[in-house]
Amino acid sequence: MLGGLIEANIGNNPARRHDFDELAARVGIWVTDIDEGVTLDFQKGTLMVANGLKPKRDVTIRAEAETVMNLSNLRIGLFGMPVYYDEVGRGIAAKLVQGKLRIEGMLGNIATVNTVTRIFSVR
Amino acid sequence: MAVNAFSDEWARQFKDEVNRSDVYKSAAKGWKWTVGLVVEAEPDKNFPESKGVVMDLFDGSARDIKVGSAGDAQKCDFVITAPYSRWKQVATKELDATKGILQGKLKLKGDLPTIVRYTKASQEMTECTTRVPVEWPDEK
Repeated sequence: MLGGLIEANIGNNPARRHDFDELAARVGIWVTDIDEGVTLDFQKGTLMVANGLKPKRDVTIRAEAETVMNLSNLRIGLFGMPVYYDEVGRGIAAKLVQGKLRIEGMLGNIATVNTVTRIFSVR
Repeated sequence: MAVNAFSDEWARQFKDEVNRSDVYKSAAKGWKWTVGLVVEAEPDKNFPESKGVVMDLFDGSARDIKVGSAGDAQKCDFVITAPYSRWKQVATKELDATKGILQGKLKLKGDLPTIVRYTKASQEMTECTTRVPVEWPDEK
């Protein structure tokens, strides 16, 4: 489903397409309440989706299903930064603070996390 | 009083629940697409024929919800398909619909970015189904 969401998103929006064409990163998403996940291997314009978490990931996002869906609802604001001050953004920020959303590898890969967020965003 | 699952009376009560929900009204503002639920047959569960639920939803309200054939539901803008017992799990809160879709237990067809934008509305709609007291054919 996440692969389909990205495909539809980049098809709808040239800016997201540009992000997709520039992104080279391996991103894991683990949905904690169903104990399942995927690895998204972005290779500058192509995406390989694999079940489970594959090694050598740059970033790994761990959250419950609802939070994973809400990540796609983050608005993108000035300079392509995710908006954390509206209702959805505050919810995501609260999950981060509570440890219910964990983004491993974020510190060294903030630009990658922001790009992935933009590619995922349906807003 | 409990109604038969996926009957006309169930559809009427479900529609009333949706239209009573302020959460749905607010979360589904701007929604203008039809949604079809395909309930696949499971003869061993006393549900011998597939059915379709056609939901005409518009801007935070349910204009119409009808039970018909699976083919009717498949013509909708968004179609969610699952066997009878999965839908029962959703309606009895055993299975969260968001998780079910992520796991592929409920198959979703339609524009994904649009439906993801309305995640909260979808969740509330699921809540509405749980408020309708139902008599399940496999429990008769």
